[in-house]
Amino acid sequence: MKRNKGMIILFLTPAVFMFSVIFLYPIIRTVIMSFFKIDGITDPVARWQFTGLANFVKLANTSLFRISMWNLLRIWLFGGIIVMSLALLFAVIITSGIRFKSFFRAVIYLPNIVSAVALATMWLQYVYSPKFGLLKTMFTKLGLTDLAKIQWLDNDHKFAALLLAYCFGMVGYHMLIFASGIERISSDYFEAATLDGANKFNQFRYITLPLLKGVFKTNITMWSVTSVGFFVWSQLFSTVTADTQTITPMVYMYMQIFGAGNSITERNSGLGAAIGVLLSVCVVTVFWICNHLLKDDDLEF
Amino acid sequence: MAREKKYREPVNWKRELRLAPGYLILLLWITFTFVLLGWVLLASFSTTKEIFSNKLLASGLHFENYVKAWINSDVAGIFRNSLIYSIISCSLLIIICAPAAYVLARFIFPGNKLIQTGFVSAMGVPVVMIVLPLFGIVASMGILNNVMSNAVLLIFLYIGINVPYTTIFLMTFFSNLSRAFEEAAAIDGCPPTKTFWLIMLPMAQPGIITVTIFNFINIWNEYFISLIFANSDKLRPIAVGLYSMINSMKYTGDWAGMFAAVVIVFLPTFILYIFLSEKIIAGVTGGGVKG
Repeated sequence: MKRNKGMIILFLTPAVFMFSVIFLYPIIRTVIMSFFKIDGITDPVARWQFTGLANFVKLANTSLFRISMWNLLRIWLFGGIIVMSLALLFAVIITSGIRFKSFFRAVIYLPNIVSAVALATMWLQYVYSPKFGLLKTMFTKLGLTDLAKIQWLDNDHKFAALLLAYCFGMVGYHMLIFASGIERISSDYFEAATLDGANKFNQFRYITLPLLKGVFKTNITMWSVTSVGFFVWSQLFSTVTADTQTITPMVYMYMQIFGAGNSITERNSGLGAAIGVLLSVCVVTVFWICNHLLKDDDLEF
Repeated sequence: MAREKKYREPVNWKRELRLAPGYLILLLWITFTFVLLGWVLLASFSTTKEIFSNKLLASGLHFENYVKAWINSDVAGIFRNSLIYSIISCSLLIIICAPAAYVLARFIFPGNKLIQTGFVSAMGVPVVMIVLPLFGIVASMGILNNVMSNAVLLIFLYIGINVPYTTIFLMTFFSNLSRAFEEAAAIDGCPPTKTFWLIMLPMAQPGIITVTIFNFINIWNEYFISLIFANSDKLRPIAVGLYSMINSMKYTGDWAGMFAAVVIVFLPTFILYIFLSEKIIAGVTGGGVKG
Protein backbone atom coordinates (compact mmCIF):
# COMPACT_ATOMS: atom_id res chain seq x y z
CA MET A 1 0.00 0.00 0.00
CA LYS A 2 2.93 2.33 0.67
CA ARG A 3 3.65 3.05 -2.97
CA ASN A 4 0.00 3.87 -3.57
CA LYS A 5 0.07 6.66 -1.02
CA GLY A 6 0.71 9.35 -3.59
CA MET A 7 -2.11 8.10 -5.76
CA ILE A 8 -4.57 7.93 -2.86
CA ILE A 9 -3.84 11.52 -1.85
CA LEU A 10 -3.91 12.79 -5.42
CA PHE A 11 -7.19 11.06 -6.22
CA LEU A 12 -8.96 12.05 -3.01
CA THR A 13 -7.89 15.66 -2.68
CA PRO A 14 -10.30 17.34 -5.14
CA ALA A 15 -13.39 15.57 -3.80
CA VAL A 16 -12.44 16.02 -0.16
CA PHE A 17 -11.62 19.67 -0.82
CA MET A 18 -15.06 20.29 -2.38
CA PHE A 19 -16.70 18.42 0.50
CA SER A 20 -14.86 20.51 3.08
CA VAL A 21 -15.63 23.83 1.39
CA ILE A 22 -19.30 23.14 0.59
CA PHE A 23 -20.33 20.96 3.52
CA LEU A 24 -17.90 20.60 6.41
CA TYR A 25 -16.86 24.20 6.97
CA PRO A 26 -20.31 25.77 6.38
CA ILE A 27 -22.03 23.26 8.66
CA ILE A 28 -19.65 23.95 11.54
CA ARG A 29 -19.93 27.69 10.97
CA THR A 30 -23.74 27.55 10.84
CA VAL A 31 -23.84 25.74 14.17
CA ILE A 32 -21.59 28.41 15.72
CA MET A 33 -23.56 31.24 14.08
CA SER A 34 -26.79 30.01 15.64
CA PHE A 35 -25.49 31.12 19.07
CA PHE A 36 -24.63 34.63 17.96
CA LYS A 37 -26.47 37.78 16.99
CA ILE A 38 -25.13 38.79 13.59
CA ASP A 39 -26.45 41.99 12.02
CA GLY A 40 -25.08 41.56 8.53
CA ILE A 41 -24.35 38.24 6.90
CA THR A 42 -20.93 39.49 5.73
CA ASP A 43 -19.91 40.76 9.17
CA PRO A 44 -16.52 39.53 10.40
CA VAL A 45 -16.55 37.22 13.41
CA ALA A 46 -15.24 40.05 15.60
CA ARG A 47 -18.57 41.85 15.32
CA TRP A 48 -20.73 38.87 16.25
CA GLN A 49 -22.37 39.11 19.66
CA PHE A 50 -22.64 35.91 21.65
CA THR A 51 -26.22 35.52 22.85
CA GLY A 52 -26.36 31.86 23.83
CA LEU A 53 -29.73 30.32 23.09
CA ALA A 54 -31.43 33.68 22.51
CA ASN A 55 -31.92 32.96 18.80
CA PHE A 56 -33.77 29.74 19.53
CA VAL A 57 -35.90 31.40 22.20
CA LYS A 58 -36.74 34.19 19.82
CA LEU A 59 -37.77 31.73 17.11
CA ALA A 60 -39.97 29.89 19.59
CA ASN A 61 -41.66 33.19 20.43
CA THR A 62 -42.21 34.26 16.82
CA SER A 63 -45.70 33.26 15.82
CA LEU A 64 -44.93 33.24 12.09
CA PHE A 65 -42.06 30.82 12.66
CA ARG A 66 -44.24 28.62 14.86
CA ILE A 67 -46.82 28.54 12.07
CA SER A 68 -44.12 27.58 9.59
CA MET A 69 -42.98 24.70 11.82
CA TRP A 70 -46.58 23.60 12.22
CA ASN A 71 -47.01 23.59 8.44
CA LEU A 72 -43.82 21.57 8.07
CA LEU A 73 -45.08 19.06 10.61
CA ARG A 74 -48.39 18.76 8.77
CA ILE A 75 -46.60 18.27 5.45
CA TRP A 76 -44.26 15.70 6.95
CA LEU A 77 -46.95 13.74 8.79
CA PHE A 78 -49.99 13.85 6.49
CA GLY A 79 -47.93 13.98 3.32
CA GLY A 80 -45.80 11.15 4.67
CA ILE A 81 -48.81 8.96 5.40
CA ILE A 82 -50.32 9.63 1.95
CA VAL A 83 -47.06 9.17 0.05
CA MET A 84 -45.91 6.08 1.95
CA SER A 85 -49.26 4.30 1.65
CA LEU A 86 -49.60 5.05 -2.05
CA ALA A 87 -45.95 4.21 -2.70
CA LEU A 88 -46.24 0.89 -0.85
CA LEU A 89 -49.51 0.06 -2.60
CA PHE A 90 -48.04 0.78 -6.04
CA ALA A 91 -44.85 -1.11 -5.19
CA VAL A 92 -46.87 -4.19 -4.19
CA ILE A 93 -48.93 -4.01 -7.39
CA ILE A 94 -45.87 -3.43 -9.57
CA THR A 95 -44.08 -6.46 -8.11
CA SER A 96 -47.15 -8.72 -8.15
CA GLY A 97 -46.30 -10.01 -11.63
CA ILE A 98 -48.40 -7.66 -13.73
CA ARG A 99 -47.72 -6.99 -17.38
CA PHE A 100 -46.15 -3.75 -18.66
CA LYS A 101 -44.37 -3.42 -15.33
CA SER A 102 -41.57 -1.24 -16.70
CA PHE A 103 -44.05 1.05 -18.40
CA PHE A 104 -46.16 1.57 -15.27
CA ARG A 105 -43.08 2.08 -13.17
CA ALA A 106 -41.63 4.61 -15.59
CA VAL A 107 -44.82 6.67 -15.76
CA ILE A 108 -45.29 6.73 -11.99
CA TYR A 109 -41.72 7.92 -11.53
CA LEU A 110 -42.02 10.50 -14.32
CA PRO A 111 -43.08 13.51 -12.15
CA ASN A 112 -39.82 13.20 -10.22
CA ILE A 113 -37.74 14.26 -13.20
CA VAL A 114 -39.85 17.33 -13.93
CA SER A 115 -38.70 20.66 -12.54
CA ALA A 116 -40.71 21.41 -9.41
CA VAL A 117 -41.46 24.87 -10.77
CA ALA A 118 -42.95 23.39 -13.95
CA LEU A 119 -44.89 20.71 -12.08
CA ALA A 120 -46.29 23.15 -9.54
CA THR A 121 -47.32 25.48 -12.37
CA MET A 122 -49.21 22.68 -14.07
CA TRP A 123 -51.16 22.02 -10.88
CA LEU A 124 -51.72 25.66 -10.04
CA GLN A 125 -52.66 26.93 -13.48
CA TYR A 126 -54.43 23.85 -14.77
CA VAL A 127 -55.68 21.34 -12.18
CA TYR A 128 -56.81 23.93 -9.64
CA SER A 129 -57.80 26.67 -12.06
CA PRO A 130 -61.21 28.10 -11.14
CA LYS A 131 -62.00 28.75 -14.83
CA PHE A 132 -60.78 25.83 -16.91
CA GLY A 133 -59.33 23.57 -14.21
CA LEU A 134 -59.27 19.80 -14.41
CA LEU A 135 -61.05 19.39 -11.08
CA LYS A 136 -63.74 21.89 -12.01
CA THR A 137 -64.36 20.31 -15.42
CA MET A 138 -64.37 16.82 -13.99
CA PHE A 139 -66.77 17.57 -11.14
CA THR A 140 -69.08 19.54 -13.45
CA LYS A 141 -69.23 16.61 -15.88
CA LEU A 142 -70.00 14.26 -13.00
CA GLY A 143 -72.78 16.59 -11.87
CA LEU A 144 -71.14 17.32 -8.53
CA THR A 145 -71.74 21.06 -8.69
CA ASP A 146 -70.89 21.63 -5.04
CA LEU A 147 -67.43 20.13 -5.49
CA ALA A 148 -66.97 21.96 -8.78
CA LYS A 149 -67.57 25.27 -7.03
CA ILE A 150 -64.69 24.79 -4.58
CA GLN A 151 -62.00 27.45 -4.94
CA TRP A 152 -58.99 25.19 -4.44
CA LEU A 153 -56.57 28.05 -4.02
CA ASP A 154 -58.47 30.08 -1.42
CA ASN A 155 -57.20 30.17 2.13
CA ASP A 156 -59.34 27.26 3.34
CA HIS A 157 -58.21 24.81 0.69
CA LYS A 158 -54.77 26.04 -0.23
CA PHE A 159 -52.85 23.82 2.16
CA ALA A 160 -54.68 20.68 1.05
CA ALA A 161 -54.16 21.65 -2.58
CA LEU A 162 -50.45 22.18 -1.98
CA LEU A 163 -50.08 18.90 -0.14
CA LEU A 164 -51.93 16.91 -2.79
CA ALA A 165 -49.86 18.34 -5.63
CA TYR A 166 -46.61 17.76 -3.73
CA CYS A 167 -47.51 14.17 -2.85
CA PHE A 168 -48.33 13.40 -6.48
CA GLY A 169 -44.77 14.24 -7.39
CA MET A 170 -43.16 12.32 -4.54
CA VAL A 171 -44.91 8.95 -4.78
CA GLY A 172 -42.78 7.64 -7.65
CA TYR A 173 -39.46 7.91 -5.87
CA HIS A 174 -40.60 6.14 -2.72
CA MET A 175 -42.40 3.51 -4.78
CA LEU A 176 -39.12 2.61 -6.49
CA ILE A 177 -37.39 2.14 -3.14
CA PHE A 178 -40.23 -0.02 -1.80
CA ALA A 179 -40.35 -2.05 -5.02
CA SER A 180 -36.64 -2.79 -4.99
CA GLY A 181 -36.97 -3.85 -1.35
CA ILE A 182 -39.82 -6.23 -2.18
CA GLU A 183 -37.89 -7.67 -5.12
CA ARG A 184 -34.97 -8.49 -2.86
CA ILE A 185 -37.16 -10.80 -0.78
CA SER A 186 -36.61 -14.34 -1.98
CA SER A 187 -39.64 -15.90 -3.66
CA ASP A 188 -38.99 -19.07 -1.61
CA TYR A 189 -40.70 -17.47 1.37
CA PHE A 190 -43.85 -16.80 -0.60
CA GLU A 191 -43.85 -20.26 -2.15
CA ALA A 192 -43.47 -21.90 1.23
CA ALA A 193 -46.25 -19.72 2.64
CA THR A 194 -48.52 -20.54 -0.29
CA LEU A 195 -47.93 -24.26 0.27
CA ASP A 196 -48.82 -23.79 3.92
CA GLY A 197 -52.05 -22.15 2.83
CA ALA A 198 -51.37 -18.50 3.67
CA ASN A 199 -53.38 -16.09 1.52
CA LYS A 200 -51.95 -13.05 -0.24
CA PHE A 201 -52.93 -10.64 2.48
CA ASN A 202 -51.34 -12.71 5.23
CA GLN A 203 -48.22 -13.15 3.15
CA PHE A 204 -47.99 -9.38 2.85
CA ARG A 205 -48.67 -8.85 6.54
CA TYR A 206 -46.32 -11.52 7.90
CA ILE A 207 -43.57 -11.76 5.26
CA THR A 208 -43.33 -8.60 3.16
CA LEU A 209 -43.92 -5.98 5.85
CA PRO A 210 -41.48 -7.34 8.46
CA LEU A 211 -38.78 -7.79 5.84
CA LEU A 212 -39.30 -4.23 4.61
CA LYS A 213 -38.30 -2.63 7.91
CA GLY A 214 -34.97 -1.44 6.59
CA VAL A 215 -36.62 -0.08 3.46
CA PHE A 216 -39.15 1.81 5.57
CA LYS A 217 -36.26 3.34 7.44
CA THR A 218 -34.64 4.51 4.21
CA ASN A 219 -37.92 5.88 2.92
CA ILE A 220 -38.82 7.76 6.10
CA THR A 221 -35.35 9.24 6.33
CA MET A 222 -35.39 10.37 2.71
CA TRP A 223 -38.90 11.75 3.14
CA SER A 224 -37.81 13.76 6.18
CA VAL A 225 -34.76 15.12 4.40
CA THR A 226 -36.83 16.32 1.43
CA SER A 227 -39.64 17.67 3.64
CA VAL A 228 -37.25 19.80 5.63
CA GLY A 229 -36.11 21.45 2.40
CA PHE A 230 -39.69 22.26 1.41
CA PHE A 231 -39.39 25.55 -0.44
CA VAL A 232 -40.27 25.79 -4.14
CA TRP A 233 -43.81 24.47 -3.81
CA SER A 234 -44.53 26.80 -0.97
CA GLN A 235 -43.16 29.78 -2.86
CA LEU A 236 -45.27 28.98 -5.90
CA PHE A 237 -48.47 28.40 -3.96
CA SER A 238 -48.26 31.57 -1.90
CA THR A 239 -49.69 34.80 -3.25
CA VAL A 240 -48.26 37.07 -0.58
CA THR A 241 -44.77 37.03 0.94
CA ALA A 242 -45.79 35.60 4.30
CA ASP A 243 -48.70 33.30 3.52
CA THR A 244 -49.62 31.58 6.77
CA GLN A 245 -51.18 28.64 4.92
CA THR A 246 -48.08 27.66 3.01
CA ILE A 247 -45.08 29.14 4.83
CA THR A 248 -42.37 26.65 5.82
CA PRO A 249 -39.18 27.20 7.85
CA MET A 250 -37.09 27.40 4.68
CA VAL A 251 -39.34 30.12 3.28
CA TYR A 252 -39.21 31.95 6.61
CA MET A 253 -35.42 31.71 6.63
CA TYR A 254 -35.27 32.99 3.05
CA MET A 255 -37.49 35.95 3.91
CA GLN A 256 -35.52 36.66 7.03
CA ILE A 257 -32.09 36.69 5.43
CA PHE A 258 -32.44 37.27 1.70
CA GLY A 259 -35.92 38.63 1.09
CA ALA A 260 -37.27 42.12 1.40
CA GLY A 261 -40.46 40.96 3.09
CA ASN A 262 -42.24 43.68 5.04
CA SER A 263 -43.04 41.29 7.88
CA ILE A 264 -39.42 41.19 8.93
CA THR A 265 -38.36 43.91 11.29
CA GLU A 266 -34.94 42.81 12.36
CA ARG A 267 -32.10 41.32 10.36
CA ASN A 268 -30.13 38.70 12.19
CA SER A 269 -28.25 35.98 10.33
CA GLY A 270 -27.93 34.10 13.59
CA LEU A 271 -31.68 33.45 13.46
CA GLY A 272 -31.33 31.93 10.00
CA ALA A 273 -28.55 29.69 11.25
CA ALA A 274 -30.68 28.67 14.22
CA ILE A 275 -33.44 27.59 11.82
CA GLY A 276 -30.93 25.44 9.96
CA VAL A 277 -29.78 23.84 13.20
CA LEU A 278 -33.37 23.22 14.33
CA LEU A 279 -34.25 21.53 11.03
CA SER A 280 -31.13 19.37 11.17
CA VAL A 281 -31.99 18.34 14.72
CA CYS A 282 -35.44 17.31 13.44
CA VAL A 283 -33.92 15.12 10.72
CA VAL A 284 -31.44 13.53 13.09
CA THR A 285 -34.20 12.87 15.64
CA VAL A 286 -36.39 11.18 13.06
CA PHE A 287 -33.42 9.12 11.91
CA TRP A 288 -32.58 8.14 15.48
CA ILE A 289 -36.17 7.17 16.31
CA CYS A 290 -36.43 5.11 13.11
CA ASN A 291 -33.20 3.32 13.93
CA HIS A 292 -34.51 2.36 17.35
CA LEU A 293 -38.06 1.49 16.38
CA LEU A 294 -37.23 -0.36 13.20
CA LYS A 295 -34.26 -2.48 14.17
CA ASP A 296 -33.76 -4.86 11.30
CA ASP A 297 -30.54 -6.53 12.34
CA ASP A 298 -32.37 -9.51 13.83
CA LEU A 299 -33.74 -10.39 10.41
CA GLU A 300 -31.43 -11.89 7.85
CA PHE A 301 -32.60 -12.44 4.30
CA MET B 1 -33.91 -5.57 -10.87
CA ALA B 2 -31.82 -6.09 -13.97
CA ARG B 3 -32.93 -9.68 -14.29
CA GLU B 4 -36.11 -9.08 -16.28
CA LYS B 5 -37.72 -12.06 -17.94
CA LYS B 6 -36.73 -12.11 -21.57
CA TYR B 7 -39.49 -14.38 -22.89
CA ARG B 8 -43.15 -13.46 -23.09
CA GLU B 9 -45.45 -15.52 -20.99
CA PRO B 10 -48.69 -16.60 -22.64
CA VAL B 11 -51.66 -14.66 -21.37
CA ASN B 12 -53.16 -16.49 -18.43
CA TRP B 13 -56.58 -14.91 -18.12
CA LYS B 14 -57.37 -16.32 -14.71
CA ARG B 15 -54.19 -14.85 -13.34
CA GLU B 16 -54.71 -11.51 -15.06
CA LEU B 17 -58.23 -11.33 -13.64
CA ARG B 18 -56.87 -11.76 -10.13
CA LEU B 19 -54.55 -8.84 -10.78
CA ALA B 20 -57.36 -6.68 -12.19
CA PRO B 21 -57.72 -4.39 -9.15
CA GLY B 22 -54.02 -3.68 -9.35
CA TYR B 23 -54.23 -2.81 -13.04
CA LEU B 24 -57.20 -0.57 -12.34
CA ILE B 25 -55.44 1.44 -9.63
CA LEU B 26 -52.31 1.91 -11.72
CA LEU B 27 -54.34 2.83 -14.79
CA LEU B 28 -56.24 5.50 -12.88
CA TRP B 29 -53.02 7.03 -11.62
CA ILE B 30 -51.21 7.07 -14.94
CA THR B 31 -54.32 8.31 -16.75
CA PHE B 32 -54.24 11.30 -14.46
CA THR B 33 -50.53 11.81 -15.18
CA PHE B 34 -51.17 11.69 -18.91
CA VAL B 35 -54.15 14.04 -18.72
CA LEU B 36 -52.07 16.51 -16.72
CA LEU B 37 -49.08 16.50 -19.04
CA GLY B 38 -51.12 16.06 -22.21
CA TRP B 39 -53.43 18.95 -21.44
CA VAL B 40 -50.50 21.26 -20.74
CA LEU B 41 -48.90 20.19 -24.02
CA LEU B 42 -52.10 20.85 -25.99
CA ALA B 43 -52.67 24.13 -24.16
CA SER B 44 -49.19 25.27 -25.15
CA PHE B 45 -50.28 25.01 -28.81
CA SER B 46 -53.62 26.79 -28.30
CA THR B 47 -54.54 30.42 -27.82
CA THR B 48 -55.25 31.85 -24.38
CA LYS B 49 -58.87 32.39 -25.43
CA GLU B 50 -59.24 28.72 -26.33
CA ILE B 51 -57.75 27.69 -23.00
CA PHE B 52 -60.32 29.74 -21.13
CA SER B 53 -63.24 28.43 -23.16
CA ASN B 54 -61.96 24.83 -22.80
CA LYS B 55 -61.69 24.32 -26.57
CA LEU B 56 -58.04 23.40 -26.96
CA LEU B 57 -56.59 23.48 -30.46
CA ALA B 58 -59.88 24.77 -31.94
CA SER B 59 -57.97 26.94 -34.42
CA GLY B 60 -55.12 24.55 -35.14
CA LEU B 61 -51.58 24.50 -33.83
CA HIS B 62 -50.14 27.79 -32.64
CA PHE B 63 -46.39 27.45 -32.76
CA GLU B 64 -46.08 31.17 -32.19
CA ASN B 65 -46.52 30.56 -28.45
CA TYR B 66 -43.15 28.85 -28.49
CA VAL B 67 -41.57 31.52 -30.65
CA LYS B 68 -42.87 34.19 -28.29
CA ALA B 69 -41.67 32.37 -25.18
CA TRP B 70 -38.31 31.47 -26.69
CA ILE B 71 -37.49 34.93 -28.01
CA ASN B 72 -39.65 37.59 -26.31
CA SER B 73 -39.56 36.13 -22.80
CA ASP B 74 -35.99 34.97 -23.38
CA VAL B 75 -36.48 31.32 -22.51
CA ALA B 76 -33.58 30.89 -24.92
CA GLY B 77 -31.30 32.71 -22.48
CA ILE B 78 -32.18 30.74 -19.36
CA PHE B 79 -32.17 27.53 -21.39
CA ARG B 80 -28.64 28.24 -22.60
CA ASN B 81 -27.50 29.10 -19.06
CA SER B 82 -28.83 25.86 -17.62
CA LEU B 83 -27.36 23.84 -20.46
CA ILE B 84 -23.90 25.36 -19.89
CA TYR B 85 -24.11 24.92 -16.10
CA SER B 86 -25.29 21.33 -16.35
CA ILE B 87 -22.80 20.17 -18.97
CA ILE B 88 -19.74 21.74 -17.31
CA SER B 89 -20.76 20.63 -13.81
CA CYS B 90 -21.58 17.07 -14.88
CA SER B 91 -18.23 16.62 -16.65
CA LEU B 92 -16.19 18.09 -13.80
CA LEU B 93 -18.13 16.01 -11.28
CA ILE B 94 -16.95 12.81 -12.96
CA ILE B 95 -13.35 14.03 -13.17
CA ILE B 96 -13.42 14.93 -9.45
CA CYS B 97 -15.49 12.07 -8.07
CA ALA B 98 -14.49 9.01 -10.11
CA PRO B 99 -10.85 8.94 -8.87
CA ALA B 100 -11.97 9.52 -5.28
CA ALA B 101 -14.64 6.84 -5.56
CA TYR B 102 -12.11 4.38 -6.97
CA VAL B 103 -9.61 4.99 -4.18
CA LEU B 104 -12.33 4.71 -1.52
CA ALA B 105 -13.58 1.46 -3.02
CA ARG B 106 -10.21 -0.22 -3.54
CA PHE B 107 -7.66 0.86 -0.96
CA ILE B 108 -7.54 0.45 2.79
CA PHE B 109 -6.10 3.51 4.48
CA PRO B 110 -6.73 5.50 7.65
CA GLY B 111 -9.69 7.85 7.19
CA ASN B 112 -11.37 5.82 4.45
CA LYS B 113 -14.41 4.96 6.55
CA LEU B 114 -14.52 8.50 7.94
CA ILE B 115 -14.65 10.05 4.48
CA GLN B 116 -17.37 7.63 3.44
CA THR B 117 -19.44 8.40 6.52
CA GLY B 118 -18.96 12.11 5.93
CA PHE B 119 -20.13 11.87 2.34
CA VAL B 120 -23.14 9.71 3.20
CA SER B 121 -24.19 12.10 5.98
CA ALA B 122 -23.76 15.08 3.66
CA MET B 123 -26.50 13.65 1.45
CA GLY B 124 -28.95 14.18 4.31
CA VAL B 125 -27.86 17.68 5.27
CA PRO B 126 -30.58 20.28 4.69
CA VAL B 127 -29.39 22.99 2.34
CA VAL B 128 -30.19 25.68 4.97
CA MET B 129 -27.25 24.39 6.96
CA ILE B 130 -24.76 25.46 4.30
CA VAL B 131 -26.10 28.52 2.47
CA LEU B 132 -25.52 31.19 5.12
CA PRO B 133 -21.75 30.82 5.61
CA LEU B 134 -21.28 30.26 1.87
CA PHE B 135 -23.22 33.41 1.10
CA GLY B 136 -21.26 35.32 3.71
CA ILE B 137 -17.90 34.31 2.26
CA VAL B 138 -18.99 34.85 -1.32
CA ALA B 139 -20.55 38.25 -0.68
CA SER B 140 -17.59 39.58 1.27
CA MET B 141 -15.22 38.45 -1.48
CA GLY B 142 -17.23 40.47 -4.00
CA ILE B 143 -17.76 37.44 -6.25
CA LEU B 144 -21.42 38.33 -6.85
CA ASN B 145 -20.60 41.70 -8.39
CA ASN B 146 -18.98 40.28 -11.48
CA VAL B 147 -21.00 38.24 -13.98
CA MET B 148 -18.13 35.96 -14.92
CA SER B 149 -17.03 35.11 -11.39
CA ASN B 150 -20.66 34.68 -10.37
CA ALA B 151 -21.16 32.13 -13.16
CA VAL B 152 -18.03 30.25 -12.08
CA LEU B 153 -19.31 30.32 -8.51
CA LEU B 154 -22.65 28.80 -9.53
CA ILE B 155 -20.90 25.95 -11.32
CA PHE B 156 -18.61 25.47 -8.31
CA LEU B 157 -21.66 25.20 -6.04
CA TYR B 158 -23.53 22.82 -8.36
CA ILE B 159 -20.46 20.60 -8.38
CA GLY B 160 -19.94 20.84 -4.63
CA ILE B 161 -23.44 19.88 -3.57
CA ASN B 162 -23.39 16.85 -5.87
CA VAL B 163 -19.93 15.57 -4.92
CA PRO B 164 -21.03 13.32 -2.01
CA TYR B 165 -23.81 11.61 -3.96
CA THR B 166 -21.71 11.12 -7.11
CA THR B 167 -18.75 9.74 -5.16
CA ILE B 168 -20.79 7.28 -3.11
CA PHE B 169 -22.70 6.10 -6.18
CA LEU B 170 -19.52 5.48 -8.19
CA MET B 171 -17.87 3.89 -5.17
CA THR B 172 -20.53 1.18 -5.01
CA PHE B 173 -20.04 0.69 -8.72
CA PHE B 174 -16.26 0.34 -8.52
CA SER B 175 -16.40 -2.08 -5.61
CA ASN B 176 -18.54 -4.39 -7.74
CA LEU B 177 -15.89 -4.55 -10.49
CA SER B 178 -13.55 -7.53 -10.41
CA ARG B 179 -10.02 -7.04 -9.11
CA ALA B 180 -8.66 -9.41 -11.76
CA PHE B 181 -8.22 -6.56 -14.22
CA GLU B 182 -5.98 -4.57 -11.93
CA GLU B 183 -3.98 -7.64 -11.01
CA ALA B 184 -3.42 -8.45 -14.67
CA ALA B 185 -2.42 -4.86 -15.37
CA ALA B 186 -0.04 -4.85 -12.38
CA ILE B 187 1.65 -8.06 -13.60
CA ASP B 188 2.13 -6.43 -16.99
CA GLY B 189 3.81 -3.53 -15.22
CA CYS B 190 1.09 -0.90 -15.54
CA PRO B 191 1.26 1.67 -12.71
CA PRO B 192 -1.96 1.94 -10.63
CA THR B 193 -2.74 5.50 -11.74
CA LYS B 194 -2.54 4.51 -15.38
CA THR B 195 -4.58 1.36 -14.67
CA PHE B 196 -7.35 3.55 -13.32
CA TRP B 197 -7.56 5.96 -16.25
CA LEU B 198 -7.06 3.40 -19.02
CA ILE B 199 -8.81 0.31 -17.65
CA MET B 200 -11.06 0.92 -14.65
CA LEU B 201 -12.62 4.24 -15.67
CA PRO B 202 -13.78 2.97 -19.07
CA MET B 203 -15.17 -0.13 -17.36
CA ALA B 204 -17.22 2.05 -15.03
CA GLN B 205 -18.94 3.67 -17.99
CA PRO B 206 -22.46 2.35 -17.24
CA GLY B 207 -22.26 3.74 -13.71
CA ILE B 208 -20.85 7.02 -14.96
CA ILE B 209 -23.70 7.40 -17.45
CA THR B 210 -26.35 6.72 -14.81
CA VAL B 211 -24.92 9.10 -12.25
CA THR B 212 -24.44 11.78 -14.91
CA ILE B 213 -28.10 11.59 -15.92
CA PHE B 214 -29.01 12.08 -12.28
CA ASN B 215 -26.64 14.98 -11.86
CA PHE B 216 -27.94 16.53 -15.06
CA ILE B 217 -31.57 16.31 -13.91
CA ASN B 218 -30.64 17.62 -10.45
CA ILE B 219 -28.68 20.57 -11.75
CA TRP B 220 -31.23 21.32 -14.48
CA ASN B 221 -34.01 21.50 -11.89
CA GLU B 222 -31.95 23.14 -9.13
CA TYR B 223 -33.78 26.11 -7.62
CA PHE B 224 -32.80 27.26 -4.14
CA ILE B 225 -29.04 27.67 -4.60
CA SER B 226 -29.54 29.47 -7.91
CA LEU B 227 -32.17 31.75 -6.40
CA ILE B 228 -29.74 32.92 -3.75
CA PHE B 229 -26.46 32.94 -5.63
CA ALA B 230 -27.40 34.03 -9.17
CA ASN B 231 -27.14 37.76 -8.68
CA SER B 232 -27.86 38.87 -12.23
CA ASP B 233 -30.81 38.21 -14.53
CA LYS B 234 -28.34 37.16 -17.19
CA LEU B 235 -27.17 34.25 -15.04
CA ARG B 236 -30.51 32.80 -14.05
CA PRO B 237 -30.90 29.09 -14.73
CA ILE B 238 -34.10 27.64 -16.07
CA ALA B 239 -36.01 26.96 -12.84
CA VAL B 240 -35.53 30.44 -11.41
CA GLY B 241 -36.12 32.05 -14.78
CA LEU B 242 -39.33 30.11 -15.27
CA TYR B 243 -40.56 31.20 -11.87
CA SER B 244 -40.22 34.89 -12.59
CA MET B 245 -41.59 34.38 -16.09
CA ILE B 246 -44.70 32.66 -14.74
CA ASN B 247 -45.21 35.54 -12.34
CA SER B 248 -45.07 38.12 -15.10
CA MET B 249 -47.19 36.08 -17.50
CA LYS B 250 -49.95 35.85 -14.91
CA TYR B 251 -50.21 39.62 -15.11
CA THR B 252 -49.95 39.90 -18.89
CA GLY B 253 -52.56 37.14 -19.16
CA ASP B 254 -50.56 35.11 -21.66
CA TRP B 255 -51.53 31.64 -20.46
CA ALA B 256 -50.64 29.93 -23.73
CA GLY B 257 -47.15 31.42 -23.62
CA MET B 258 -46.77 30.33 -20.01
CA PHE B 259 -47.65 26.72 -20.81
CA ALA B 260 -45.25 26.83 -23.76
CA ALA B 261 -42.48 27.96 -21.40
CA VAL B 262 -43.37 25.14 -18.99
CA VAL B 263 -43.13 22.60 -21.82
CA ILE B 264 -39.75 23.96 -22.96
CA VAL B 265 -38.38 23.63 -19.41
CA PHE B 266 -39.77 20.15 -19.04
CA LEU B 267 -38.66 18.86 -22.45
CA PRO B 268 -34.90 18.15 -22.02
CA THR B 269 -35.31 16.00 -18.92
CA PHE B 270 -38.36 14.34 -20.45
CA ILE B 271 -36.50 13.38 -23.63
CA LEU B 272 -33.64 12.00 -21.55
CA TYR B 273 -36.19 10.04 -19.56
CA ILE B 274 -37.90 8.52 -22.59
CA PHE B 275 -34.64 7.04 -23.80
CA LEU B 276 -33.02 6.25 -20.49
CA SER B 277 -35.84 5.59 -18.02
CA GLU B 278 -34.64 2.04 -17.26
CA LYS B 279 -31.16 3.33 -16.44
CA ILE B 280 -32.58 6.13 -14.31
CA ILE B 281 -34.88 3.81 -12.39
CA ALA B 282 -32.08 1.32 -11.80
CA GLY B 283 -29.96 4.21 -10.56
CA VAL B 284 -32.49 5.33 -7.94
CA THR B 285 -32.25 2.02 -6.16
CA GLY B 286 -28.80 0.96 -7.30
CA GLY B 287 -26.43 2.99 -5.22
CA GLY B 288 -26.25 6.13 -3.24
CA VAL B 289 -29.45 5.69 -1.30
CA LYS B 290 -28.57 4.42 2.11
CA GLY B 291 -30.65 4.41 5.26
